[in-house]
Amino acid sequence: MWRVTLRGLFAHKVRYALTALAVLLGVAFMAGTFVFTDTIKHTFDGLFNDVYRNTSAVVRAKQPFTPGANFSNQRRLIDADLVTKVWQVPGVTDISVGVEGYAQLVGRDGDAIGNPAAGAPTLGEAWTSGADRMEPYRFAEGRPPRTHNEVAIDKHSADVGNLEVGDRVTVLTKRQPREYTITGIVRWGTADSPLGASITLFDLATAERVLAEPGRADEIDVAAAPGVSQEQMADRLRAALANPRLEVVTATKVTQEGQTSIHQALAFFDAFLLVFAGIALFVGSFLIFNTFSIVVAQRMRELALLRAVGASRAQVIVSVLGESLLVGLVASAVGLGVGVGLAVGLKALLAAFGFAIPSSGLLVTFRTVLASIVVGVTISLAAALMPAWKAGRIAPVAAMRDVEVGGETRKVRRSVCGAALLAVGAGLLLVGLFAGVPHPMTYVGAGAATFFVGIAVAGPLIARPLCRVIGAPLSWRRTGRLARNNAMRNPKRTAASAAALTIGVALVAVISVMAASTKSSIASVVDSSMRADFVVTGAGQPGGMSGFSPTLARRLEALPEVASATGIRSGAVRISGSTSVVLAVDPRHVDDLFDIDLRQGDLTEMGSTGIAISQQIADADHLGLGDRLPVAFTTSGTHDFTVQAIYGARSLAGDYVLPVAAARRHFRSQLDFQVYARLAPGVAAATGRSAIDQVLSGYPNATLMDRTEYKHAQEAQIDQLLGLMYGLLGLALLIALIGIANTLALSIYERTHELGLLRAVGMTRRQLRAVVRGESVVIALLGTVQGLVAGVLLGWAVVTALESQGVTRLSVPVSQLAIVGVLAVLAGVVAAAAPARRATHLDVLRAISHH
Amino acid sequence: MTTSVVRDEAREPVASHTAARIVDGVKIYGEGATLVRALDGVTADFATGEFCAVMGPSGSGKSTLLHCLAGLDHLTSGQVLIDDVDLSRLNDKAMTLIRRDRLGFVFQSFNLVPTLTAEENILLPLTLAGRKPDRGWFEALVTSLGIGDRLRHRPSELSGGQQQRVAMGRALITRPALIFADEPTGNLDSRAANDLLEQMRATVDELGQTVVMVTHDAHGASYADRLLFLADGQVVEELHAPDKDTILDTIRKLGD
Repeated sequence: MWRVTLRGLFAHKVRYALTALAVLLGVAFMAGTFVFTDTIKHTFDGLFNDVYRNTSAVVRAKQPFTPGANFSNQRRLIDADLVTKVWQVPGVTDISVGVEGYAQLVGRDGDAIGNPAAGAPTLGEAWTSGADRMEPYRFAEGRPPRTHNEVAIDKHSADVGNLEVGDRVTVLTKRQPREYTITGIVRWGTADSPLGASITLFDLATAERVLAEPGRADEIDVAAAPGVSQEQMADRLRAALANPRLEVVTATKVTQEGQTSIHQALAFFDAFLLVFAGIALFVGSFLIFNTFSIVVAQRMRELALLRAVGASRAQVIVSVLGESLLVGLVASAVGLGVGVGLAVGLKALLAAFGFAIPSSGLLVTFRTVLASIVVGVTISLAAALMPAWKAGRIAPVAAMRDVEVGGETRKVRRSVCGAALLAVGAGLLLVGLFAGVPHPMTYVGAGAATFFVGIAVAGPLIARPLCRVIGAPLSWRRTGRLARNNAMRNPKRTAASAAALTIGVALVAVISVMAASTKSSIASVVDSSMRADFVVTGAGQPGGMSGFSPTLARRLEALPEVASATGIRSGAVRISGSTSVVLAVDPRHVDDLFDIDLRQGDLTEMGSTGIAISQQIADADHLGLGDRLPVAFTTSGTHDFTVQAIYGARSLAGDYVLPVAAARRHFRSQLDFQVYARLAPGVAAATGRSAIDQVLSGYPNATLMDRTEYKHAQEAQIDQLLGLMYGLLGLALLIALIGIANTLALSIYERTHELGLLRAVGMTRRQLRAVVRGESVVIALLGTVQGLVAGVLLGWAVVTALESQGVTRLSVPVSQLAIVGVLAVLAGVVAAAAPARRATHLDVLRAISHH
Repeated sequence: MTTSVVRDEAREPVASHTAARIVDGVKIYGEGATLVRALDGVTADFATGEFCAVMGPSGSGKSTLLHCLAGLDHLTSGQVLIDDVDLSRLNDKAMTLIRRDRLGFVFQSFNLVPTLTAEENILLPLTLAGRKPDRGWFEALVTSLGIGDRLRHRPSELSGGQQQRVAMGRALITRPALIFADEPTGNLDSRAANDLLEQMRATVDELGQTVVMVTHDAHGASYADRLLFLADGQVVEELHAPDKDTILDTIRKLGD
């Protein structure tokens, strides 16, 4: 039977080539993701090992809770003069004092280098003289900073900012911006900079002053004499320091922490890409299913003949499955190769976004190879299962009869199955979205997949009437009716081809609806809650280390044109068992600048141990005015706060708002990530703007926006993400189009005689092309219409579920979705190109000859 | 359209009594060892209003002759003239238009477009040309073909005989200069075959239609005005108003 399988494959190489391409693309996407993230993990594991290779143990402040991977360093500072005590511990050979904080370089062109609000962090660190071998940085040029006027910078920033040793450079810190002389340019191990972050190195005393506080540091790194193990050194330090607020950990542990945080950050990225790879594979499986169904139908006589001459049912099934196995194997193997190439592209893409990744060879693990082959083969086999089963059921007598290709649909069974799948899918989706179960995305994913299979199963029932409606505008043309009829003649085939596109389009519609709704929600929050005329942004994000020096808000408020200005700070806290970023504001300014929708209490009177909470939290946790609420900080442990206000503007402020006095006492970062300003009465916007701009000229990282600009900036961020997701869905859409092209090609092969006849009785090539194109457009539109309907419904459900996350408005981007429709028509035309070419170049004589 | 002008001129009896003509037709397939001379210098005229049958053993070149006459295939050398138009000078598009406007076809099978109704199939050449059908002519055709009550049916809902009569209707709807029939009765039972042959005879007698039919059936050939015998790519015998016995005798004679 293997010979039959192989012959079958070779006889139909073109149709299998397209099928293989679908699997190949999905596998390549998956393999590319694996190779890429494995390579990065491997590279950074090595780099972190390198960073602490000469360190034995680290002394740092104990942290009451760990805020998580997406927070910057939130640890309390320690006294730098602990160094004296540490030196007395036997076996200590070297000490390096670690100080880390916000520092941003200004390039030669006057623009700040890096954007911590949307990219890699901009950090300042201390260079401890005399402990060079413990430093993670190596000097590529120049020497370390020795005075309070000197800095060394990383090579990546030097390249970006066009800076050289000896140049004067402005550095932004929590203090006033000021100029330093560059004494050296460093690399982080083999990388130009750690993960693309911008690094400024100060001498220790300067670092303490501009990054932390004078006499305070983040950690003390200790090198040990040969023969003293990391554990021994840590034990000795613990005993010598005997301070419960400090912790001493081995360098191995710190290395692991660094590696783990990279792994965690990558895990999200990994999952994000793999979801899209999964979508591509899912869509590809429809293509495989359809191809094998059509091929089995077309080979019915041949397969029946095999049965007639003695092949068992199992043999026929195995021969069809064998073909799919081979297709899957070849496609997976090639896909793996393409995936490696894709990983190179991903690296380049990320570098373009500012995350420089050190060059190193690509890491193709056994896991990657195994997963690619297993996934590719499994998908191929699974999708061919049903067609193979059908092949097995072909009666031997079919070899003797002229049978119409493509059987009748069993309407009742199909309706019941389709409805059941749609119901189960919708149920899982709703559970995932609204039931508050653990791992809701698993439910949503499974629900969506089931729902789409349901659409595919029920599809043939509605394909005919839908095609009739969709094709109606075509039928005024002579060739249009033929095209529409062709799309309607085999609803199963049409529906299956369209289903692949339905999935892609539905997902496009879902994210379009989500994005539009989020944008409109943000706009409404800005409109209803922002009383400030201007906001200064660009320095960082909540929970980050960077921000504006508090002097900025003070200088703005001092302007006669400005009535009120305040900075917003953020920090990691743990309240009622969950960790979150909370905002801190100056209570005196809140009413001037925001409409926080106060429900109870008074925010302006909030004392340093007061806290404001959202109505939702008040309801959920049964909290009222005057209730005590314990809040844990990373720096200082748990403190009791009193609820002094309850507000409604949760999408603006989150669940908790602290007074800035509490932030000063307990937050690690004392920088404002945004500053809001309101103009004095009677001051024209332009006048106010130029006054503020004057102040901002000293802060090159600052971007001044009025309310409209701020809205647009927020929207632009969402659009960027949207663009990325469209790009990633593009692959699934491409596979769907290949599917349509493949179906058309197979149909044309099947209709050779009919096309020959049409040509013989006088259809021109142009007309024939129009017929094929028309059919393709009808199928593409069918898929698109189904996808748009399903996607908008799904988007509506998701937006409803996100209401508590601040997405309060449902917005359907009609014009955008209309564009999708237009693109579908174009896509249909493109997909028809190759099959139409084949059809028009058909040898008329051979097509009509019956010999 | 110029084609209608051409047709009207062609209808002038003085202009031409010859609907189609092949002069020194040579058709060679393959090369070297596999070279086949399917047509080896065929010259024949097909007069307007004549029912001409072509017979010959397999490989005699009768199908090739039909295909070349019908503009479905090009001669290697020689000339085919339809309405005095030299087909060898035409490109694919012009050839297609000649087929659409001047020629009609009836094949053994695969004769109708399955997604179209009988009426749409009959009107197909006009639809493709974007021309309005002459309703009177259409009504007359379907009535004489006896398919007036089947017009809304799809081919799969028609018997083989009915399908071939629909195909006849399609061939006739454009009032072509010439109808080519390629073994039109091959897939029909004897009653349906007789019906169809009567029908073809009637179009020649009553409408002055010209028909060229390839067949290997002596009974079918006996309906023709003239019968050409082909062997090895050449015309080897010609019979006028043949009867069945003469045909069978000739076949036997040629077979020796």
